[in-house]
Amino acid sequence: MNKFNRGLVVALGLLMFGAGEAAWSQTAPVGDAANGKRLYLAVGCFTCHGRSGQGGSYNYPAPALAETKLPLEAFKTFLRVGPKDMPAYTESVPRTTRLPTSTHFCARSRGGARQKIFRS
Amino acid sequence: MRKKFLNQSIVSRRDFLKGVTLTGAAALTTPALSARAQQSPTREPAKVVPQPNLAAETQPSPKDPATQSSSGGDFMAEVLNTLDIDYLAMNCASSFRGLHEAIINHTRNKPEILTCPHEEIAVSMAQGYAKIEGKPMAMICHGVVGLQHATMAIYNSWCDRVPVYIMIGNIVEADKRAPGAEWVHSAIDPAALVRDFVKWDDQPASLQHFAESAVRAYKVAMTPPMAPVLLSLDAELQENPIADRDRLRIPKLAKVVPPVGDSGAIAEAAKLLVAAQNPVVICDRMSRTPAGMARLMELAETLQCAVVDQAGRMNFPSRHPLNQGARRGAVVGQADVVLAIEMNDLWGSLNSFSDRIVRSSRPNFKPGTKIITLGSRDLYMKANYQDFGRFNEVDLAIAGDGEASLPALTEQVKRLTDANRKSAFEARGKKLAEAHHAAREQAKADATIGWDASPITTARMCAELYAQIKAEDWSLVGNGIRITWPNRLWNFDKSYRWNGGSGGAGIGYTAPASTGAALANKKHGRISVAIQGDGDLMFVPGTLWTAAHHRIPILYVVHNNRAYHQEYMYLQAMANRHSRGITNAHIGTTLTDPNIDYATVAKGFGVYGEGPITDPKDLGPALKRAVAVVKRGEPALVDVVTDPR
Repeated sequence: MNKFNRGLVVALGLLMFGAGEAAWSQTAPVGDAANGKRLYLAVGCFTCHGRSGQGGSYNYPAPALAETKLPLEAFKTFLRVGPKDMPAYTESVPRTTRLPTSTHFCARSRGGARQKIFRS
Repeated sequence: MRKKFLNQSIVSRRDFLKGVTLTGAAALTTPALSARAQQSPTREPAKVVPQPNLAAETQPSPKDPATQSSSGGDFMAEVLNTLDIDYLAMNCASSFRGLHEAIINHTRNKPEILTCPHEEIAVSMAQGYAKIEGKPMAMICHGVVGLQHATMAIYNSWCDRVPVYIMIGNIVEADKRAPGAEWVHSAIDPAALVRDFVKWDDQPASLQHFAESAVRAYKVAMTPPMAPVLLSLDAELQENPIADRDRLRIPKLAKVVPPVGDSGAIAEAAKLLVAAQNPVVICDRMSRTPAGMARLMELAETLQCAVVDQAGRMNFPSRHPLNQGARRGAVVGQADVVLAIEMNDLWGSLNSFSDRIVRSSRPNFKPGTKIITLGSRDLYMKANYQDFGRFNEVDLAIAGDGEASLPALTEQVKRLTDANRKSAFEARGKKLAEAHHAAREQAKADATIGWDASPITTARMCAELYAQIKAEDWSLVGNGIRITWPNRLWNFDKSYRWNGGSGGAGIGYTAPASTGAALANKKHGRISVAIQGDGDLMFVPGTLWTAAHHRIPILYVVHNNRAYHQEYMYLQAMANRHSRGITNAHIGTTLTDPNIDYATVAKGFGVYGEGPITDPKDLGPALKRAVAVVKRGEPALVDVVTDPR
């Protein structure tokens, strides 16, 4: 595995840390969240899934990616194949060999104020 | 010398005035005309060429009068005032100056004229207004270039199945057209431009013809399936004196009764629904009146079935436990009977389409699912424009107005429901309610992702907005790109909480349609709010002036992602296919460099404006100030820089 593919696996592994999938995460090295965020914006994931991974839409709803519970291999498949109207990020698309989904920039903010708004 | 000259001047003026006193208007002719009159004192009056296709009252007088005591336009205005039309939106034009003057003076600005800087604004205002008010607004424009401007908005109204009462001016007779504009703005058949997407049109040849066609047009527009109608008004007919007013009669407008589905078919549908294990009701443009929502609730609660509201109208309360809009994929996938009420795109609701190099699709429903349609679309459609959507085979097609047919269907369902079925229904309803509440809790959690981010998330924007309006009698009259957060989290519990979309996805709908809806809401004291796309607003920014001029209370919240973002995403998809990356996808799709300052644009049009807001902490206070302006009866705009979706 070259360092670029390792970067992809590592970055995707950050998802697994966030989701708490113990079986995989026990062997996953720490990834580069900053680079992950940069790539996430650079290749256009944010246009449908939001800058914070909060989700959005294209022709169909684009799910939230923050704290996704998808296993690593399924996530890779979605990226490479692109379901429904999602563009496919094949390995020939520039910069996608290291495409990450870092959880730290998708992490939800915490706080009490927003709860008041929804308590209605 | 000078004094003599002056004395001669004074004497000449006095003589001139004396001449006017004795001979009246004739003395005011110019010297040249007077000279010509002196040269040929016995000149015969100009011959009047009879017009074989027009009635007697359109014949101009053989003399050359300067005033008249009656006009066709006056009669036309009287006819319009019998039709329960309160407003006439227009961009003024010479071709209907006759009717325009009659309305402002003869019927004293009734219907009330709404001044619009673009014909598209006028039609879209009428479209939004009709959906709240339940009756049409009239719209009038120039017959050629004005109608050309209006076409996209007319198409939206057609696709949305909304009645708009359109009139255009035209000059039928060639010898009555002045050189220049009157020729390039006349046509033999001006309505041909829009005939594929209006329900009915006419070009009356006489005033009695106009009276009958005007009443017929209203009736046709308002009979489901509703749609725009058009009358072409000859300028001579509008402007010339009426020969004999006593010969003219305005027909009575009878009450419009919508068609109801066949009783046998309704009984069959009821049987299928009662026997089903997982019936699902999907609806789109069902609610025609405030009664619609209550009727659907009664059916759904009797069956305890899942309801998916496609939100072409305000069909079903968002927080009703049977509302399964957030789980439409799951409920359709499990359905054994689907009742589709007033659906525009049934195929799109039941199938998923894959936009890839080889386009493909797959059904979302199980094999063997029974599909019932109930709606008026099958009663009337046209061929050229493909707004009817892809053909979807069904098991039972009931042609009739959805809202009007619901009471009969509910009655049949109740008649067939015994104690056993009722017990099964209750168990089903309980599960659906649990699923609904779980989806709502998930939506609340999802909305907090990126809460403090900048650009501001649409979830945060919608949450802050709702916090400012939820205690008011609010009405969401526009939601440009159909952001889902209001549907997922706000409490849509009344018939006017939501006003549907454009119908034809023609961009430039939201601002004017929302303004028209806000006008309908005004007398009820409702706070009208529109989530307004930035690119969408740029098509029709003049709408803001109309809102200010006519004191229409509405809050425009600009969802400013600084792009035609849908097209940006399309380019992204194309670039990925070619493995070229999105580096250039901003070319032709973004509204930056410079960034448009919508608050300044609004102020320029006389509308209170704030923004651009980039820090989510500033949103609440800005929206609060803007809502205060709207509560005072005026429009306001807040520009919010947001994430794309």
